Amino acid sequence: MTADAASAPLGKPGARTATAYPRYLAGKLAGAAVSLLAVLVTSFFLFRLIPGDPVRFMTGGRQVSSEQLANYREQFGLDLPLWQQFTDYCGKALTGDLGTSYQFNAPVIDKITEALPHTLLLTGTAFVIYTVLGIVLGTRSAWRHGRLGDRLNTGLALVLYSVPSFWLGLLLIVTLSVGIGPLPGLFPTGGMESGGEEGFAYVLDVAHHLVLPVVTLVAVEYGQTLLVTRSALMDEMGSDYLTTARAKGLRDDLVRRRHAVPNALLPTVTLIFINLGRTVAGVILVETVFSWPGLGGLFYQALSVPDLPLVQGLFFVFAAAVIVMNTLADLIYPLLDPRVGR
Amino acid sequence: MTTGTGMTKEQGSSPVRSRSLARRRRRDSAARFWRQYRTHRAGLFGLGALLLFALPALTAPLLVGSDVDDVTDAPGGPLEDPSTAFPFGTDRFGRNLLGLVIWGARVSLLVGLLAAVLSVAIGTLIGVTAGHFKGWYATVTMRITDWFLVMPTLVLAIALATVMPRSLLTIVVAIGVTTWPTTARLVRAQTLAVETRPYIERARALGGGHWHIMSRHVLPNVMPLVLAQTTLIISSAILAEATLAFLGLGDPTVVSWGALLQDAREAGAVSSGHWWYLVPPGVAIAVVALAFTLCGRAVEQVLNPRLGVSR
Amino acid sequence: MDTNDQYGGHHRTPGRVRLVVAAGAAALTLSAALATPLSPARPQAYAADDGGRVLTVAVAQSVDSLSPFLAVRLLSTSIHRLTYEYLTNYDPEDNHVVPGLATRWESSPDKLTWTYTIRSDSRWSDGRQATAEDAAWTFQTMMTDPGAATANGSFVSNFEKVTAPNPTTLVIKLKKPQATMTALDVPIVPKHVWEKVDDFSKFNNDKDFPVVGNGPFVLTDHKPDSYVRLKANRDFWRGAPKFDELVFRYYKDQDAAVSALRKGEVSFVAGSPSLTPAQASSLKGEKNIHVNDAPGRRFYALAVNPGARAKNGETLGDGHPSLLDQRVRNALFKAVDRKAVIDKVFQGHAVEGAGYIPPRFTQYFWKPSPGQELTYDPVEAGRMLDRAGLRKNADGRRVGKDGKPLTYRVLCHATDPNDKAIGRYLQEWWGELGIGVTLTCLDNVTDPWLAGEYDLAFDGWSVNPDPDFVLSIHTCAALPATPEDTGATDNFICDKKYDELYARQLAEYDPDKRAALVKQMESRLYDLGYMNVMAYPNAVEAYRTDQIASITTMPAKAGNIYGQDGYWSWWSAVPADSGDSSGSSSSTGVVIGIVTGVVVLAGVGAFFARRRRATADERE
Repeated sequence: MTADAASAPLGKPGARTATAYPRYLAGKLAGAAVSLLAVLVTSFFLFRLIPGDPVRFMTGGRQVSSEQLANYREQFGLDLPLWQQFTDYCGKALTGDLGTSYQFNAPVIDKITEALPHTLLLTGTAFVIYTVLGIVLGTRSAWRHGRLGDRLNTGLALVLYSVPSFWLGLLLIVTLSVGIGPLPGLFPTGGMESGGEEGFAYVLDVAHHLVLPVVTLVAVEYGQTLLVTRSALMDEMGSDYLTTARAKGLRDDLVRRRHAVPNALLPTVTLIFINLGRTVAGVILVETVFSWPGLGGLFYQALSVPDLPLVQGLFFVFAAAVIVMNTLADLIYPLLDPRVGR
Repeated sequence: MTTGTGMTKEQGSSPVRSRSLARRRRRDSAARFWRQYRTHRAGLFGLGALLLFALPALTAPLLVGSDVDDVTDAPGGPLEDPSTAFPFGTDRFGRNLLGLVIWGARVSLLVGLLAAVLSVAIGTLIGVTAGHFKGWYATVTMRITDWFLVMPTLVLAIALATVMPRSLLTIVVAIGVTTWPTTARLVRAQTLAVETRPYIERARALGGGHWHIMSRHVLPNVMPLVLAQTTLIISSAILAEATLAFLGLGDPTVVSWGALLQDAREAGAVSSGHWWYLVPPGVAIAVVALAFTLCGRAVEQVLNPRLGVSR
Repeated sequence: MDTNDQYGGHHRTPGRVRLVVAAGAAALTLSAALATPLSPARPQAYAADDGGRVLTVAVAQSVDSLSPFLAVRLLSTSIHRLTYEYLTNYDPEDNHVVPGLATRWESSPDKLTWTYTIRSDSRWSDGRQATAEDAAWTFQTMMTDPGAATANGSFVSNFEKVTAPNPTTLVIKLKKPQATMTALDVPIVPKHVWEKVDDFSKFNNDKDFPVVGNGPFVLTDHKPDSYVRLKANRDFWRGAPKFDELVFRYYKDQDAAVSALRKGEVSFVAGSPSLTPAQASSLKGEKNIHVNDAPGRRFYALAVNPGARAKNGETLGDGHPSLLDQRVRNALFKAVDRKAVIDKVFQGHAVEGAGYIPPRFTQYFWKPSPGQELTYDPVEAGRMLDRAGLRKNADGRRVGKDGKPLTYRVLCHATDPNDKAIGRYLQEWWGELGIGVTLTCLDNVTDPWLAGEYDLAFDGWSVNPDPDFVLSIHTCAALPATPEDTGATDNFICDKKYDELYARQLAEYDPDKRAALVKQMESRLYDLGYMNVMAYPNAVEAYRTDQIASITTMPAKAGNIYGQDGYWSWWSAVPADSGDSSGSSSSTGVVIGIVTGVVVLAGVGAFFARRRRATADERE
């Protein structure tokens, strides 16, 4: 997403006293709280705009009397005025109760905690791989700036960055999962497990199912980390102190590892956190294509009903993931960069 | 962040001369821009690829005929293999897939452009005003911007597309409304930088109103940045359009690249081995998105070499 | 947050960076580690008998609830068919009613009291005897607890009283006669387990496995959006199933399901609602795969909004007034090329539409006479519209009585590719007539549908062996009481003549005479033009012959496997001898996959090792 360069956490220049960090911290936390509240408000009102009567959706067109419909409305609090529904919703949300899913007839929070580990497993694995890959390749690329290796490297990253993830996923299924020509299908076509395995076999089975979705995510995501690392490092390499270091006779490699890379990693670290939040939300497509039983698939399923409480809850979780990660980045950034926030 | 266009020396001698001077300066800077742009091979490649796609798209009615998406008199049988008559094969209605990919370029490019223009327009408006009017207005708008910035774009766009009736306009709005904050941030920073320049002080002292300063002084200075930003956003807008269409949130009767991919998937092309139904629309999306990204990066580098390449 | 892009190049303490990065990595590892144990481990209580024959079915639907009182989705109700006995069942040969939990049944002369004899050889899986008391309790609960009436309440709405005078006798007293008393498709649950439930509207029956039941299979495990597992009930009164285990595995994506079949990961794929023509034709050539392309039980129609209204006479919605003219409706249908629908959209996997009830129910199938038939004839359709007063204006558009060009809104299911495809054809066919078409495709059409806010809509129902239900949904009695209620009506049809015929067939106990009346109703429905059947889609499904040697279709000659009225298919399925070869092939896949993964990892490792060495060398 192009948004990332500008969404980097920004410090307050000028505040350099020792007591500034707690204040900075408090400010950031308050900001995050306000954002979360705003998300809560949006998730509530945005989905009220979906045309139609939720109770009618809920009863799925079965024959029901107006009394029964009224009962349902009462049960789900839909008979109350909107503002009261909203305050109820917020009040309950604070206690972790996000309502009851219409289609599964189960607490939203249960459905979310059920699917969340699956999403974390997928995004977590992909995230670790694409971050490491992005940083390693980005460093190499910057160091060999302008050479063939760099060009191929950035070129490939840009190409993969431009590929729609769902399409890449479908192609991977066609080639590596269904099998094409003489090539047999190597990987499962979807889902997270075959069912029936236990113990270590179960872990292997899940890992086997994990390969293609992770490859898809890594392919479309690593490019950004690579490019940011590369440009940060290139900025760094132009710095005076590096020239000095080199002039002092330090070896290139040492200069690179001791000075340039750690400093250049700074913007990358913030990007890493922001990416993690975004990946959780951006996984919808990959989960849909690979039938992964995670939050993204659940969101898509909930929207088609529409299962308002579930949609709201998931929307909140997705946005919260980004906010929490951004805030973490905000909080960590000044610890890394002494110029910011102290 | 500074831009290369030299507007700092704008001084009033005679108005006529100053206008012709300005025009010449603009022409000069455009020529300079092009000279520098030409040195970026990737940017040229992107531009070439864009022309390659834009030309057939513009001439599609002549090239493939406007009846290429008719289902009742489709020329072939459903899902025919590629042949000389149908280089990309046929779709599930028996329509010529090559023709559809060309025809679909119109919608995909149009939606991408409109969405990017909408997004950048919102972003520029917010950015310039927030940079110009400081105080509570700036605080509030920037809070909103920050908030939009952390919203997961795809999730929000999907939600918007679900809430609104299915049409191309919906897609344009859903993308435009969710992607503007980056531009707003960049433009605001640039506006703040521009407004510290002495000639703005002078213009203000000479009685220039808010509107005058924003439209005559600030806007021309942020335009290059806006241009680069637009190019980059088109790329993600085209991807977003394909994504929403693929998720079935687009207008089902309109042929776009994303919609073709959804058609292919619904027809079961993935598991029945009709890979050629999937490849052309996806490649088209990827190439065009890449081309816009390359152009955007090149423009960015020309305008501000120090900026590096952050994307 | 005031300035932009604070990334600068100044000297910072690298040690701290490393620490934070390490901490971040540790946190991640932790979260990844947390993720794994959180996913419910498979319960040890039910380990699949080693060497047991497993029948795996790919499904696209997720389970809405495992409580028979709440479940409405096909997958869930199919699971209930397999795990709980119903009073009666339908014969797989020809759909006639056969004994289930009840062995015999009879009605009193006044037709108001039905007495069922409950079998004494059916046991719950916890060893207790299934009795009439269980059945009585199930019905009573549905009658008294609104939460328990959620899914099947309509079956008991006409019940006066249900009693079990002794363990083998069930007596149901009715308020008024009901001809469908041998077609009560209600799962009977064990009272001793279910009476402990306090809130039926919340209880999903998905916590305690195995679930106590008495069907041919016992529900042993469910992981949402992953799988449902059932174990064969060795003590099933009709005889144990041949497979040891039945697994419904969830594939959101039909392509994934088909390729899973191809690779032997699953034994059976039904598709939702069926395999696409491309999938079917590509599977047909495959070794060890049989494609079951059989007449389906669905009709696929174009419904017309007849000016929606409620029983109290209030109108609702905004159906186009021109459609109230039968000539217009018939003309529109005459411009629909049903042959093209079959050939192009279904690509032969459907039968051209005629009467309301699909031909597979031979008893009730009806065809219009040559004079009555609305054959495809766009020219004549144009003339009919002219006669109806809808003439073309200068632009070639037909104008309604209000002087505005006609545009009809067609409601379509975004989830059904056929709706969208035929919608495009409609745009062009009716465009030729000078009528515009707006296709409104929604994931869930319920709301505009119930509100009557459409002009035409794609419609389809699965027809049961007893056609009463699909006939009843077009009677005036099915209309909602007020616009605020939801009626049983399909698309608000209310026709006096049709209603008279409906009442007569319901009272008719002679099967042939009843069938004749049903056909008259179909004829009336056809002429009215509110429900225009375009096609009867086939059930297109496929299974692996190296895993399933034989399986009963319903009807036995040519019928569907998934979604039968009964448990015949899975109960009757016979494992193939070479059943385990597929297992090895899938494990080969695992091995190859793992090997690939190891190779990749080794490659990455080697890469880093090489780099390390290189740096070590440089370090002297």
